[in-house]
Order: sequence, then structure tokens, then C-alpha cells
Amino acid sequence: MSRVTGGRRIVRIGFFGRLREALGDEREVPDERGETVARLRVRLAALHPGAARDLLSPGVRACVADAIVGEDFPVAGQERVEFLPPLSGG
Amino acid sequence: MSVRLSDEPISDEHELSQFRSGLEGEGAIVTFAGVARSRTPGGEAVDRLVLDHHPRLTSRSLDEIAAAARERFDIAALRIVHRRGAVAPGETIVFVAASATHRRAAFEAVDYMMDRLKTDAVFWKREDGPEGSTWIEPREDDLAARARWSEAPCPE
Repeated sequence: MSRVTGGRRIVRIGFFGRLREALGDEREVPDERGETVARLRVRLAALHPGAARDLLSPGVRACVADAIVGEDFPVAGQERVEFLPPLSGG
Repeated sequence: MSVRLSDEPISDEHELSQFRSGLEGEGAIVTFAGVARSRTPGGEAVDRLVLDHHPRLTSRSLDEIAAAARERFDIAALRIVHRRGAVAPGETIVFVAASATHRRAAFEAVDYMMDRLKTDAVFWKREDGPEGSTWIEPREDDLAARARWSEAPCPE
């Protein structure tokens, strides 16, 4: 469940790999009613144009509660959404 | 079945010794150590390799690969030890071992685990050097090696 801060619900966004390097471990954005992963990507890309290419890349997968989710997955109300770049492997 | 992530340098000798101490008379042991290179494929110097990982999915991916190897091959025991964080050139990134009654299953299990680890283990790797840093993308030859073990049926 998303957290309420200053009267607004907040979704935490976690990053890994090159996205973590560009944006840090985590950012917080206001929870927007009805938002999907696809729309969240667009919102984040507008906020962070330097990382827009990765944020909008289909190779960067979204993950909620340790499971990969699709572009239509509803983000609203989730505590945390993570973006995982393509794996480098071990 | 022993699988773990390590923040500290891996001693291949220690891991082999520990692995052997848990065996029960198997006739074959195969080990593999993946070592951090001092140069990129393009010849540029590498000061360190950095492995970013996920707090849960990385361990889960290693466990799944180990379990699949146990299921797939007639092996008695296996071990995977994988570094995370900063790794210096010459240090072991990953140590893999398998034991079996006969050698073929142990060879194949280690080969399988390494091919899976190179593509399916949840890591993001970055090479840092004097010329800058580069995130490592999935490699076609690693994906092709992984595909060798595909369980898809042969086309008729």
C-alpha cells in the first residue's frame, strides 16, 4: 500500500544497475489514480530526461513485490515499483 | 546444495576443501572459477568490476539455477558462491562445483549452471577503468550458450 506523506499518497521507485547509477537507489513520486507502469515510465522520463531512454526501454522491466509485471499493471496504490535493466548475468 | 552470495574475496581452495568435506564417496568432482579480467574485450584496462544485485531476486535466481541443475543431472552435491559489490581483477567472481558418481553428470551440471548464471542470474555488472565506466550488456554468445539447454521440443 502506498504511503501517505503531506496528505498525498507516495509510491517509492527503486532502481538497479545503470538506472541506479543515474537516479540513485530510490525516488518517491506522488501516487496517481489509475496509473499503469507504462504511464509511470512516461512520467518518470519527463522528470528525469537524462535517463529517459532507459526508463522507456522495453528491455527495462518493471517489478512489483518481487515479480515482473506488464505495462498495463496498475501502479496506483503500490508501495514500491522497481525498474530492472537487462541482466548482465553472473 | 550450498548457494551463497559473498561480499568478501572467494578462496577457490577453501571452497573446494569445504565442498569435498561434505561428500559421501562420489567418484567425480568438477569445479569452475570465473575470474575478473584485467582488460575489456577491447583491450582497455579494468580497475574493478562492480556487481549490482537485488536484495531478494538475486539469491532467488541462484537458488533456482541450483535447483534446476539438481533436477536435471544425476549429481550428488553442488555449490555456487557468487561475489557481489566490487571485485578486483584476478579475484574469483563465481565458484561452482558439482559432484557425481561418474564424471559426465558433474561436467554437464557445472556447464549448465555457468550458462544459466551468465544469462539468468540477477546481476548488473559495470567495469570501471581509467577511461571511465561501462555497464555490461547481455552478450549474444552467452544467450546462445544458454539456449543449448532449452527444454523446448525439437521441431518436427
